[in-house]
Amino acid sequence: MALQTLEFEFQDAAPKTIEKEWSHLGVTGSGDLEVLMEKKDLAGKVKVKVVTPVIGFDTVWQKMLQKFVSDCHVGNVSIEINDDNATPIVVYMRLRQALAEANEKGAEK
Amino acid sequence: MDEFDNTMIGRGRDAIGMIIDPKTFQENSVGDYSFDPEYGPCAAVGTAKLQGRCITVIANDAQAFNDRFPVVFGGIIGMEEAYKMAMTVYKSMEADKDKPMAEKRPIVLIVDTPGNGPGKMEEIAGMNKATGGYQLALAEARKAGHPIIACVIGRAISGAFLCHGLQADHILALSKDYGTMIHVMPITSISRITKMDIEKLEALSTSNPVFAAGVDFFYKLGGVEEVINTVDDMREIISKHINEVYAIKAAGKFDRLGPWGRGLLGEERGGRIVRLKAMGKMDGEFETVADQYINA
Amino acid sequence: MKSWKELSGASFFNATARERAVGMVDEDSFTELLGPHDRFTSPHLPVLGTAVEFDDGMVTGVGRIGKHPVFVISMEGKFIGGSIGEVNGGKMVGTIRLAEKVAVRIKKKHPDEYEQRRPMVVISFETGGVRLHEANAGLLAHAEVMDAFQDCRRKLPVVCVVGSKVGCFGGMGFVAAATDVIIMNEQGRIGLTGPEVIEQEMGKEEFDASDKALVYRTTGAKQKYIMQDCNYLVEDTIEAFYLALAEVADKTLDEIEGMRRIGSVKLIEEQMDIVKLVGDMQPKDAMDMWKYYGNAKPEILPELSIREFLQVAKRRVRG
Repeated sequence: MALQTLEFEFQDAAPKTIEKEWSHLGVTGSGDLEVLMEKKDLAGKVKVKVVTPVIGFDTVWQKMLQKFVSDCHVGNVSIEINDDNATPIVVYMRLRQALAEANEKGAEK
Repeated sequence: MDEFDNTMIGRGRDAIGMIIDPKTFQENSVGDYSFDPEYGPCAAVGTAKLQGRCITVIANDAQAFNDRFPVVFGGIIGMEEAYKMAMTVYKSMEADKDKPMAEKRPIVLIVDTPGNGPGKMEEIAGMNKATGGYQLALAEARKAGHPIIACVIGRAISGAFLCHGLQADHILALSKDYGTMIHVMPITSISRITKMDIEKLEALSTSNPVFAAGVDFFYKLGGVEEVINTVDDMREIISKHINEVYAIKAAGKFDRLGPWGRGLLGEERGGRIVRLKAMGKMDGEFETVADQYINA
Repeated sequence: MKSWKELSGASFFNATARERAVGMVDEDSFTELLGPHDRFTSPHLPVLGTAVEFDDGMVTGVGRIGKHPVFVISMEGKFIGGSIGEVNGGKMVGTIRLAEKVAVRIKKKHPDEYEQRRPMVVISFETGGVRLHEANAGLLAHAEVMDAFQDCRRKLPVVCVVGSKVGCFGGMGFVAAATDVIIMNEQGRIGLTGPEVIEQEMGKEEFDASDKALVYRTTGAKQKYIMQDCNYLVEDTIEAFYLALAEVADKTLDEIEGMRRIGSVKLIEEQMDIVKLVGDMQPKDAMDMWKYYGNAKPEILPELSIREFLQVAKRRVRG
């Protein structure tokens, strides 16, 4: 019954980090999730930690996150997700939105 | 209730008799103010003596019915009851307004209530104001120096406990052997609403007091100052706490009393340990930007 | 995140807790305290297998309106219905207490300018009250909030803002009533007992919880406005709330105290009169009250726009 914590690591061929030191997007609503992205020196890697009540979808997470990293060429970023039953499409969309937010100019934290 | 044949549930008026000096209860009278005896019948309020000292008593009468508000019976606090209780507090303050803090009369809350009025008329007129109004009155009296002691003799359920009990300086409760109930919702209902497995919830509740029901868990959270093991001790223990609260107030340590004091107690007893850390961190973060806001 | 200007024109009802918090104070003035980066999640939810949120469903922080520091508490209804647990309950109490401490500091530092620099607490409620997963801690937090409110009395205004999906119910219903000033949009609802529970207690023929219009008439903003339980009824934009707040920030403390419903003998007497009236009238519907207070055709009121409603609605006369 306890929450699951899943951890992943990715390495893109041409990684780019984010503009802001950190940024946050979304709400852990039912069928939704929140994303916290933080700039970190990870030798170009992306580290992802997912906390979710859903069991048995490790491969789906792996695939969606891999797609996000490859599509957007992200690196040197730590990503933390609190999920509450978001569908893979929502996960991907929120990650894209979170990245856009993290690269937004002006409002540097 | 067979397993608790000595229960005090539904016996608010008996409890008044067991606590105060014999035959001293002047019902519906506080200072020079008196209530219409028909008003808010499910609340028994008045002035009495406890070990010779003048006190205000506010109790639930679970045997009474309020004819004007059909959802109000069985210890439910309706609008009339809550305003009657609030007025009792204000009139106690008024009666002692020129007295020094050490002489402000104690207010004893005898708690046996399952809820606030849950009806349509209550929502139309604003039951929320009635319960809120009573709580603000208690908070004001507590801060003015009146010792306020709540004694849970039966049911102290959710919002009704907030209304009648949780603004006191100290909260006492009869032990669970009397069938005393303190909770927001029984585990069966929590299970139904959160769709969590009841056996697992029950197993977890033994180690995690923040959602379990019962006097002992509230004790661990600091929500109950002291558990009273036999009814015969109610009188003595309430008196003892009145004296303690007078002393703490005389020393100016108001932060050790009331809701905030219960938070400190909850941390000491290991029941609520994160809230103070959260608040401390917030304060620290504010200091880094304080100048922008204080000297804007 | 939308820019402040975009937020201003945006619907309050549809805004997230963070958007509301940022948009209700001056542009670029909001600093979040104990924000998501602090990762102060509830330690109790994981044990029960329930998803957590980095801000525990509540945005707290400080902004400005003019020279007034504005301490903001904004609840997120999408996270477990905006319910109150140990951490977000602590954030709420901590923010109010911080505002009170800052009031003392400002009074000391700027004794001649206290009125212009007086802090304000703004709470955007979106909650059903106690979070069952950590119910006892949530319950105790409610009492702490009431206690902290009383400490703010006659020092700084505490303002209640309600206009989000969940409304403001359960224990937070009386917390809202205990503030100084209440601002709502048309969608705002405040009550103690939610519609389902009333139906359960009284039967479907007395109260049908699925009847949206009935639910709204009973606890909605127009009803609250007529009863004098809502001080400002505003359009559904964040800017409309901001402007009302700016007006409140500049009021005198006596004016603020005069906007209250409860908190003194005089106010309790006024409420007792309402209870007497209701006991005598035995209203079947909130519209019976609207009619009593001088609205000859109460049935037209729910349909009116806010602008029209404010022009024609007759309110209870206070005192």
